[in-house]
This record gives sequence, structure tokens and C-alpha cells, in this order.
Amino acid sequence: MKNSVNNNLNFPKKKKPWDVSDYELVLMASLSLLFLFVFAYLPMYGVTLAFKDGDGEINVLRSLFADNWVGFYNFKQFFADDKFYTVISNTLSINLLMLCIEFPAPIIFALFLNEIQHTRYKKTVQTISTFPHFLSWTIFGGIILALTNVNTGVTTPIFEFLKLADQTNKINLVTSDYIWVLLIISSLIKSVGWGSIIYLAAITGINPEIYEAATLDGAGRFQRMRYITLPSISATITVFFILRISNMLDNSFEMFYIFQNGVNLSKSEVLTTYIWKVSIGSQQMRYSYASALGLFNSIIGLILLLLGNFVSKKITGKGIY
Amino acid sequence: MKRANHFNLIKYRPPKIRMSAFDVFLYIFMGAFILITIYPVWYAIVGSFNEGQDFLNGGVWLWPRKFTLTNYIVVFNDNRLWKALLITVLKTVIGTVTGLTFTSIVAYAMSRKELKGRNFFYSANLFTMFFGGGLVPYFLVICAVGLYDTFLVYIIPALYSVYNMIVISSFFASVSNELHEAAKIDGASEFRTLFSIYIPLSTPVLATVALWLAVGHWNGYFGTLVYTRGTDLMTLQYYLLKLIKESSMPDQGDLPSYMYEQLSSQTVSYSAMVIATLPVLCVYPFLQRFFTKGIAIGSLKG
Repeated sequence: MKNSVNNNLNFPKKKKPWDVSDYELVLMASLSLLFLFVFAYLPMYGVTLAFKDGDGEINVLRSLFADNWVGFYNFKQFFADDKFYTVISNTLSINLLMLCIEFPAPIIFALFLNEIQHTRYKKTVQTISTFPHFLSWTIFGGIILALTNVNTGVTTPIFEFLKLADQTNKINLVTSDYIWVLLIISSLIKSVGWGSIIYLAAITGINPEIYEAATLDGAGRFQRMRYITLPSISATITVFFILRISNMLDNSFEMFYIFQNGVNLSKSEVLTTYIWKVSIGSQQMRYSYASALGLFNSIIGLILLLLGNFVSKKITGKGIY
Repeated sequence: MKRANHFNLIKYRPPKIRMSAFDVFLYIFMGAFILITIYPVWYAIVGSFNEGQDFLNGGVWLWPRKFTLTNYIVVFNDNRLWKALLITVLKTVIGTVTGLTFTSIVAYAMSRKELKGRNFFYSANLFTMFFGGGLVPYFLVICAVGLYDTFLVYIIPALYSVYNMIVISSFFASVSNELHEAAKIDGASEFRTLFSIYIPLSTPVLATVALWLAVGHWNGYFGTLVYTRGTDLMTLQYYLLKLIKESSMPDQGDLPSYMYEQLSSQTVSYSAMVIATLPVLCVYPFLQRFFTKGIAIGSLKG
């Protein structure tokens, strides 16, 4: 009844003609389409190169528009390639390790930092721990390489002091045996402070009365952490977790490239650097092969994102869309 | 100060601050973490002031053993450094200003509810966040539009980022709509409203995004490595990369040879690193307040 009355009162919607500001807004928003058309959608068309034969071609652009389809040949190629499995296993292992260590670290760091009552000390820790994020990988990685140099660095005397190594049996962190440790620790130091900012911001947003009520009810410090702080920031954690899962095949090129050398490449070659090396970064010019790898990477990333979101919605009822 | 009323008896009082074992652990843990963070930088500074060949004997950890300025003289004497510095500064300044302007303009339009076809614009933007063409097709586009090995390859592809657009636009959306209406009644165009009202009101978020952009421009070497030949358009980070990865030395130039003999590529690269860190170190304390505030804005809204 009420509905019908409302309907009668509503005038039929007339299409308003566009005024100047409509045109202006559309023009402004279209700038993004122009940009994305060139730098996002054209490369998506370029993905067709993965199904064509453009390897070793100097004029790749021509082969992109040529009619030289080879179907899934490039994909078969890399599935038949031993190198591919090394690269994939490195990529997945390092990312899994990082997921287990680097993902929770900023959360724990934020929880700990939040517990420090001395404000000046807290501020100082925050300021200093965030700083490495602003150093480039060339600088930070370069310094780490210097620190871990077997002959001149500080790690050799430390290991000797801890009786882990001696003069004849030195531990070289830059070799394939230890490179994962080195990569993860450097990445951890560089990112933990910065990563914690977002969680600290979420913690600051929690109503202090909840803590007061809990304290009155006799909740101890760890109970407050466990039952108030952690649940309150779980939404933030979920979002970052899903995004992290979808990046399981991505690594920072700038980070890995600086650490790579002849003796650790078997353990430090990851998909992002490998794609560059077989195509643009060398004389191999396997453009189609690299495009196929890139497409593989994108699709796995997309699947992982959807999967992570689905699982998260099932378990916590929250997702990113 | 003393209010002798009976409410005090039932009023909640926070527990007295006492140092528990956990507190002690926290303070020591955080202290250790700070040391681990600071020490690498200190190590590079010490190394950069130490004589090169002497450094190779090892044991230079806390203080230069044989103090010298040669490493700095050699690096400053290298023309490539100055050129790289110039290009990096230009890239950072131009890239940040243009990127921020472009992204703000789009963000403004996207924040307006009355934008025609808003859903279409949003989907077209969001899709690119989750799926990309990959490195090689992107590289081909860069070549096809004629950006390869030009200065503009540092600027144009970095003009816009969907993530930054969302961060800025969610801030714009929180600006009171009445201001917009008032401006419209006064006859201001949308562009005018953006630049005279929205941008001045959004300094925290704009400063944050500007910081992200500037840091990205200053620190990145990927662009130089992949999209240029790396000679004429060498950036500071790429110069460092060359020093570190190839253990190459700057040209001797007109330096006396005795100076050159005691050098090592390690200490020279440390001095270059210290030089490249200095600008970051100088602006960092001033910007630190900004980004803690800004990232909170970005994260809570977005």
C-alpha cells in the first residue's frame, strides 16, 4: 500500500542533460582510462605474445602483430624445462617462509610496541625501525652484503665467537646454502617497522574503555592482547593476508637482484628476475617464453587472490570485496 | 587538586606502572632491534672513512682504523655521480609533482557521486589492480610508444597509480559536500573547486602520497635497468648498483695515482652509499610525523 503511494508521488525519472561540470568530471576520470589503456590494457593485449612465436626476434613488435600462432607451445616449453622447476620451487619456498615469518612479524612488533608505556622510548623505536624502509635496496642490500662478507664483515667473528664456525670452516652467508636466511632476515629488518605502522594505527583506533572494562574484570596484560587487541585488528590482518597470498609468485626484483651472484643463483633465482633474464636482460631474447611465464604468474596470482578471499569469507566472514 | 569526595573510592584507577619481567624483556628486545637497524648504516659510514686496502684486512667494525677522505674524493671526482645525481633529483621532483597532480585530478572525479559512469570507471581501474600483462608485454608497450631510453620513461609510466588514487579519493570524499555546493553556487568550475578547495584541505593525505612517490623515484633502479640503456640516463641507485655488483671503480680522472693505489672498490662503494643516504636521512625526521598520520588515514578509509 505504502509503496504504491510512493510510486505515485515519484515523478517518472527524466534523463537530465549533461551540464558543464558533468563533462568536466568525465574528462577528469577519463584521464585514468587513457593512462590505463596504454600502460595496463595494451600490455594485456600483449599477452597474446605468449601464444605466438616471437623468441629471438629482434623486432618483437612486428611478431606481436604477425599471424604466427603456436598455441600452448611456450607453456609446454617451460613445463618441460628443469630450470623452471628450480625457479618455481625457489619462488614458492621463499614466499612461504616469508609468509610464516615476515607476515606475523609486524603484527607482533606492533603488539609489543603498544605495550611500551614510556612514550619517548616508543617514539624512538618507531622512528628508527621505520627508517630502513626508506633506504633503497642498493644501499641496504649493499650494506648487508658488506656486513656478511666472509673476510671483512662482522658475521665471521660473530659465528666464530658462537663456535658455529672456525678459521678453516667459515660460514659464507652469500652462498646457496644460507642465502635464504640472509634474504629473509634482511627483508625482515627492512620491512618490520614500516609494516607495523598500519597495525599500530588500527590499535590506536580501539576504544580505551574496552581495555578499562577488561582490566576491571581482572584481565591480565596478555589476556587483553589476546582477547581485545588481536580481534580488533583482525580485519586489517585479513586484508593484508589475502593480498600477501595473492603475491605468492611475486618477489621484489630490486631486492633479489642485488643479492644474486654466481654462487647462490641456484637458490636465489625467482620468477620475477628469471622472466627479465630470459627476455630483456640478456641476449637470449626469449620474449614469447617470458610472456608465457608472466601470464602464468598473473593467472596464478589472480586465482590465489580469489581463493584467499573465498576462504577468508568462509572463515571470518570478511573479505576484501 | 585534592578532591575529598567519596567518588574517588569507586572511581576506576589505572594500575600502577610496574616493571614486570615482560617489560624488561620488551625494553631489551626493542633496544636490540634498534641496534640491529642502526648498526648497518654505521658500518657503512665507518667503512667509507677507512683506507681501502687496509679495510680488506678486516676488523674495521666500530671506528675507522686508518682515517681517510680518499673514498669520497674519488667518488666526487667521478662525473657519472654528478650526472646521476642530477637525473635522480629531476626525476624525483618532476615525477612526484606530475604524479601527484595527475592522480589527484582523477581521484577528485572518482570521489564525486554525481560522476556519470562512475561504476564503469571504477571497474576499469580496479581490474588493473588484480591482473597485469607482465613484464615483457609492458616493455613492448614502452618501446612502442617511444619511451624507451628517454627521460620521460621515468615520468609518464609513473603518473598514475590506482592504489594512490583510491587513497586520495577516499580522503576527498570525506570533505564536506557543502563546500562543494558553495563553490558551485559561486560559479567555480570543477577544476577550480579541486585546486582551490579540495587540495588545500587535503594536505595530510597528499603529503603522504607525495612521500611514497618521492621515495619510489629516489630509490628505484628497476626503471633504469630495464627501460633504458643505462648510460645517459643513469640514476644514482643504478650507479650504486654498478659499483656493488660489478665491483667497478670510478674513473681515475686527474687524481694522483698514489691516491688510487690504496683504494678498494668496497670502501668506494660505501662512500657512494653514504652520499646517496644523506638526503633521505636529512628529510626523514621532518617527514616522519606526516607518514604515521597519513598512512592511518589511507588505511582506515581505504
